[in-house]
Amino acid sequence: MTRVGTLAGLVNRWGFHAVLLALGALMLTNLNWPLVRSFEFAFIWEYRTALFKGFGITLLLTVEAGIVGILFGTLFAIGSQSPFAPLRWLVAAYVEVFRNTPLLVQLLWIHFALPLVTGINTTALVSGITGIGLQAAAYYTEIMRAGIQAVPRGQIEAAQALGLPARTRWTRVILPPAIRTVIPALLNQNISFFKATAIVGMGLLVDDFFNSTLRVSNDTFHFIEPLTFAAAVYLVLGWQAGRWTLRLERRLTRGER
Amino acid sequence: MSFDINIILRYYPELLGGAWVAVWMTAVSLVFSSAVGAVVCIGKLQKYGAANRLATAYIDLFRATPEIVLIIWVFYCLPLLFDVRIGRYGCAIIALSAYGGAYMAEIFRAGVQAVPRGQTEAANALGIPIFHIARRVIVPPAIRRMMPALVNFLTELLKATSLLALIGVAELIFVASTLGSKTFAYMEFYTAIAVIYFMIIFPLSVYARRAERRRLRRTGN
Amino acid sequence: MTETAQNRTNGANGGEPIIVCREVVKRFGDFTALDAVSTEVRAGEVVCIVGPSGGGKSTFLRMINGLEGIDGGEIVVDGIHLPGGKKDIQNVRREVGMVFQSFNLFMHMSVRQNLTLAPMTARKLGRAEADDRAERLLDRVGIGDQIDKYPSQLSGGQQQRVAIARALAMEPRVMLFDEPTSALDPEMIKEVLDVMRELAESGMTMLVVTHEMGFAREAADRVLFMADGQILVDAPPERFFSEAEDERQASFLSKIL
Repeated sequence: MTRVGTLAGLVNRWGFHAVLLALGALMLTNLNWPLVRSFEFAFIWEYRTALFKGFGITLLLTVEAGIVGILFGTLFAIGSQSPFAPLRWLVAAYVEVFRNTPLLVQLLWIHFALPLVTGINTTALVSGITGIGLQAAAYYTEIMRAGIQAVPRGQIEAAQALGLPARTRWTRVILPPAIRTVIPALLNQNISFFKATAIVGMGLLVDDFFNSTLRVSNDTFHFIEPLTFAAAVYLVLGWQAGRWTLRLERRLTRGER
Repeated sequence: MSFDINIILRYYPELLGGAWVAVWMTAVSLVFSSAVGAVVCIGKLQKYGAANRLATAYIDLFRATPEIVLIIWVFYCLPLLFDVRIGRYGCAIIALSAYGGAYMAEIFRAGVQAVPRGQTEAANALGIPIFHIARRVIVPPAIRRMMPALVNFLTELLKATSLLALIGVAELIFVASTLGSKTFAYMEFYTAIAVIYFMIIFPLSVYARRAERRRLRRTGN
Repeated sequence: MTETAQNRTNGANGGEPIIVCREVVKRFGDFTALDAVSTEVRAGEVVCIVGPSGGGKSTFLRMINGLEGIDGGEIVVDGIHLPGGKKDIQNVRREVGMVFQSFNLFMHMSVRQNLTLAPMTARKLGRAEADDRAERLLDRVGIGDQIDKYPSQLSGGQQQRVAIARALAMEPRVMLFDEPTSALDPEMIKEVLDVMRELAESGMTMLVVTHEMGFAREAADRVLFMADGQILVDAPPERFFSEAEDERQASFLSKIL
């Protein structure tokens, strides 16, 4: 039975492997071996306090994204369902502005431009926290909105027919299934924000994990070891979190069957 | 507080230049991402073997790493590692293409696998040679299905070019920061580039969402 | 060439065996779907296969044109031996046409394109010839005026008739039908059965898996009863529907008729 997999039989299977091997060989022969031999990883351990502190900041920003995101995201999502049109438009405008501009632009604007308006000079960390929070709210609003709209119409109508007040309707009938539906999406979004914290570090010179690693590099003039180490940390954590979320998602949908 | 729009107008050539760099970098990265993505996708579509595992590893690797980490890593480490001189633009394109390739591979895969199996079966039953099956039966509907995801990816790529400012590429943020430090008109310039980014990205995003909704409405296709 | 070449002796003990199956076996893991099935189909015969779901009817049909692999025994189609190489399967598919339960029309192509794609790429016909053939076949199945429409604009019955025309465009020697009317609304079943009846009368060799007993009674030369991966009964329709040779056949008929 032919499937697309056999289409790739067009690309002669052995040819494919041969190309890969050739590429690998090319890379290996061009590697700067003297440099590789001079790698030291020990000093990373010496800087561990700075790196741990940096990781703490990263964690802070990630958790903040999650909490602010879910709280305000839910609030704004409820607003987006309001019969009061200007409120809907306001939420929509907010979400569009923060989703269609790069995070770095937002951070720089908050840190450099906003103080000129408010007269308050924020520290890099505060700017970062604000920026991440505002972005998180925008992204999570979309997720919660999808969750709310996925709740079967019939249940909402039943709640209305029963004369349930708005607050009860929301907290007991609409939000619980909405949240349950979007838990995987929320988790995946949080993983995205975990990755985004590095932008805060590099863009605003906040001492998050990545920026701290770069400073170690600048201090020791060894770039490859610390940076690769940092990349590996993000990689492993992000990848594992992704797999865990996938397993959770599978377990949740199994209940639905 | 006063908003001096004249200062934006005075420096609009520089701003336009920055926008052009952003767009141009996006386009080039898109091309390379597609090439890389196609290759990785073919690898991933193999049922088993080294190609499949390598492709999966590639996709997992480049989707789990933050783009900024990748960009900085390529900028600092790659030239040293291979003892070559790679300019900032080269590093930028390499990083964005590697990252984009992983995303494109998944988009391609979703597009191709969404073609109903019955169509390939019917084409096979008719005796149509594989090459023609690929070209006429699989690719056209696959591309149409991929469009929303592709346009969405385009917006992500555009947003990622903003990070290139951190390695000195003269795109919008870099230009705005330079001008800002020169004139202290941070408010005007940062607002201006936010508006510029928004004006480029927002239409694309709307298109992608509308296209996706239109497709879903055509009865569970 | 075309249809006149297909004017063979209508049914009965007319032609030579076009399809010969000897001890054909098919396994899915531990499950044996087909257990040493043997039968023959002669040129011009119309054979209907009936039986309970999961009895192996569709699997058997799909093995004849190579959509399913053969695990044991052999099938000879028009002189070509299966299991065979890719070339053999390609050759078989050129002589064997198939109509699917879910039509499987190419939704992104017009009816015309659906019909001309295979003749042009597999039989290397020119565009004008292919168009000509397409128009004649569509007239034959009664929807010549829909030639430039898209499948989504047609009813189920019309789509299935297009599918039949598409298979006929390859001028096959045998036509396989895998429950061609099972996915159709009742009012559209007749139009498709009429086309199949006309096809049978014109002398086409047909192998039809179906639940339409009316069609089997009127158009078939032989009726096969398949259950549990075996052909339990092989009889002409007059005998098949009046006397039960096998108890499973009896219980099946009592539920259907």
